[in-house]
Amino acid sequence: MRAVLLSCLFGVVCAQAHGAEIPRMVQETESGLSHAYEGPWEFFVGGGAAAFDCNGDRLPDLAIAGGANPARLYVNRSVAGGPLRFEERPLGLDDRRARRALGFYPIDIDNDGLRDLVMLREGRNLLLRGTGDCTFERAGAQWGFDGGSAWSAAFAAHWEADARHPTLAFGNYVDRSAPGSPWGTCEDGVFLRPRAGETPDYAEPFALAPGHCALSMLFTDWNNSGEVALRITNDRQYHLEGEDQLWRVDPERPPRLYRRGDGWRRLRIWGMGIAEADLDADGRPEYAITSMGDTKLQGLDPDEDDDLPTYADIAYDRKATAHRPYAGGDHRPSTGWHAEFADFNNDTLFDLFIAKGNVEAMPDFAAFDPDNLLLGDWSGDFEEAGEAAGIALDRRGRGAAVADFNLDGALDLVVVNRGDAPSVFRNTGPVGAETAGNWLMIDLDQPGVNRDAIGARLSVRIGKRTLERRIAVGGGHASGSVGWVHLGLGVAERARVRVRWPDGDWSHPYEVFANNFVVIDRGAPRAKYWYPPEAEP
Amino acid sequence: MVTEPLSRDAALALSAAELREHGARLFAGKFTDAEGRGRPMSTQAIVPTKRRRAARAAWQRLSGPDAGACGSCHNEPVLGGAGDFATNAFVSEGFTNPDFDTLDPQFSNERGTNHLFGAGFIELLAREMTVELQAQRRAALNRARATGEPVKAPLLTKDVAFGTLIAFPDGTVDVARVEGVDPDLVVRPFGQKGVITSLRNFTINAANAHHGMQAVERFGARWTGEADFDEDGVADELGTGDVTALTVFQASLPPPAGYEPENPAWRAAAARGARRFETIGCASCHRPTLPLESTLFTDPGPFDLAGTLRAGDAEPLAVDLAPLAEAAGFARDEAGRWLIPVSSDLKRHPIADEQVAALGNELLAQRFVAADTFLTAELWGVADTAPYGHRGNLDTLDAAIRAHGGSGRKARDAYAALSDKARDDVIAYLRTFRTAP
Repeated sequence: MRAVLLSCLFGVVCAQAHGAEIPRMVQETESGLSHAYEGPWEFFVGGGAAAFDCNGDRLPDLAIAGGANPARLYVNRSVAGGPLRFEERPLGLDDRRARRALGFYPIDIDNDGLRDLVMLREGRNLLLRGTGDCTFERAGAQWGFDGGSAWSAAFAAHWEADARHPTLAFGNYVDRSAPGSPWGTCEDGVFLRPRAGETPDYAEPFALAPGHCALSMLFTDWNNSGEVALRITNDRQYHLEGEDQLWRVDPERPPRLYRRGDGWRRLRIWGMGIAEADLDADGRPEYAITSMGDTKLQGLDPDEDDDLPTYADIAYDRKATAHRPYAGGDHRPSTGWHAEFADFNNDTLFDLFIAKGNVEAMPDFAAFDPDNLLLGDWSGDFEEAGEAAGIALDRRGRGAAVADFNLDGALDLVVVNRGDAPSVFRNTGPVGAETAGNWLMIDLDQPGVNRDAIGARLSVRIGKRTLERRIAVGGGHASGSVGWVHLGLGVAERARVRVRWPDGDWSHPYEVFANNFVVIDRGAPRAKYWYPPEAEP
Repeated sequence: MVTEPLSRDAALALSAAELREHGARLFAGKFTDAEGRGRPMSTQAIVPTKRRRAARAAWQRLSGPDAGACGSCHNEPVLGGAGDFATNAFVSEGFTNPDFDTLDPQFSNERGTNHLFGAGFIELLAREMTVELQAQRRAALNRARATGEPVKAPLLTKDVAFGTLIAFPDGTVDVARVEGVDPDLVVRPFGQKGVITSLRNFTINAANAHHGMQAVERFGARWTGEADFDEDGVADELGTGDVTALTVFQASLPPPAGYEPENPAWRAAAARGARRFETIGCASCHRPTLPLESTLFTDPGPFDLAGTLRAGDAEPLAVDLAPLAEAAGFARDEAGRWLIPVSSDLKRHPIADEQVAALGNELLAQRFVAADTFLTAELWGVADTAPYGHRGNLDTLDAAIRAHGGSGRKARDAYAALSDKARDDVIAYLRTFRTAP
């Protein structure tokens, strides 16, 4: 019971500096993920992974792009709380099609309860229909999907109102066949709204023109209206007069760009990845956008009208610029790729993971460029903890999967590296302590259409605070996840969960206990608890 | 006197007697503002919660802080005991309206002060029950997964039934028919509602709510970013060692031992009353004894969550309560288990209905437990701890029995239908439930 400093006695803000708890990320060297993302210039970008359950055991499995190497599928064989273990399974593609993949996103397109895969490629993109037990079949022709011949590195999907199947958006990179390529020859993106019918039918593409060499895109409810827009980050390395984009997506109308007159403010960066999180739980998400040099952290400009998509950069204020390596002594600017908000230390605060790595051998940018783990602290800032957490490796990171692979309530991490095996990190709890904060894992399920409730919002109440999560397919860098949604609960032992389902209906509150996996079936009076397999003593 | 917070290591360096003594000092001594009493910028909530503006008063009888010491209320008939109506606590979540200054039940639930004698045994019983219930769930899930068929599993521990669960082959569990315990199957034996897992957890909650003494392990910098979360100018108010000492002190309070009346008429009446207590159904919830496998009280306990010191956070400490059981003369069964005369099933029941609604007098659910549902009160010590009922507003044992509705209605009606003499026998029996020999 010691007295605090006098300066603290009369101040309203009395918080003493205290570092966020650092998760101990132990590198797993025998995970079974033996794979490298490699290849020529076309694969300097990309290198993504999808984390999703493909065999119904609720453990996240992995599909990983290989660039010039074949893409691979790994079934998760980890036991609860144990080391991360994966076992390779055939992806079901011939060798030619398995190669030239840049990334994967999981999504149940045909509403059969089995997750499908969108495979982004340099060349024809593929839709792989899940057929159970981690088997897949090509479904492009069956679903009226022309994979095109572009070089695709970005993808996002969303169920529009009353649609039976998701709207798909593909972001394309450089058109190498255009005169003057690669400078100023960005390929247009593709917007695929499904035709009505029982079977997915994507035979009516719409060009997202102009394209500015997209490397990440995300459907986002930027103004909490219930209507999404399509946020795209573009690589200024190759576009000439381009910029990042926000497409307005009105029902039954072609997307149209938000322009200066709509409040959109020009942003020109080497955009590589997008992540969204509602950091202040006001219903309007903030965005992390990776680049070469500064990472951007954008929030709606408080000096502008709320209904205008006018963003201000708050990365500097929040100490989240991550603009150069924090370790290794290389002071040249960083190159950021995958970005993802998550709570790695279960303290209730969002952290930000950024995969880093030189494009290949760009001399003006850091060669040793470790991935970032920016931990959110109680002042609202972020603190770099990559080195202390154990993820500061000499790798060229690209895409990543953040998921609880061993179902112990702590988020693990798999980073896809260019020219090297994936980095696999098991989160073993905080540095200097044996136990972490409380947690909750939530899986949403709705009958009929959009089984995984893509577009839903989770609003989790602990005490006076509300933790928000949005279920989305897209963003990051060529990587996505579907399945358990993780929340750190800190010292809360209980939580009330409400779901805003994709059609806008709010659920009643579900009262659940911490440190549990809960499944919320739409309309069910109570949440179901789920338990990982566990041997009897 | 201003005390320094006791670290866990310092607590472990103490002998059990010294630790209990330190716990007794903390329990009985009145905290001062120099030690951190008061919480001007923090509410009574169990999750650290800031106020928007400073509390208007350093003391507040309803919303707290409302006591200088634990012993200010827990003192009848001796330290660690229950409290009269004047010591009632006003329980609210503390997330909204933290400064309520009204008895209006829409803001708080008014609760009497329970005694803590034998609390260590109660926690040990609950731990063993939790282990068994969770093992039954695990077995049902394994069977469902192995057979591919749903498995309906009755939940039974220490001969107390907690309903049934259905385990599905996909690993999900339907808890709609689980009764008297939370869906996570953790038996929480403390508080009138049965919503508190452990003495340690209770100590941290109560120290903040009633004294504004904030435990480092919940309100400290690790979980709030601040060493002085309540902004009273004192950092790290209760160390993990302090909470350990308080926990050990409470766990080591002697259990009520029962009483063998010297008066032959009383003795005979009590014997008849004991039989009657069984036959009219009181004992179906107020189980005369619950068997306990092990008397080893470990701290931290196995089922606390973050915000209360957990196994793995610190080197464990063990105190054997067997000497207390021996001193109290507890019997053992043929398996060697101690028979703890707690007179409860440690299960929650609805205790009010349309006709008999006296105990359904609350408006607010508490931690997901319905307003009319309470833990079966442990009757050991009941003879020395009037008044009764969760609000402490029932003067006599007779009144308390007659107030039972809901799950207790049938036994209550049977009691009411007894002759005066038979009812007197039941009361005579309950009057032997003394706090200490």
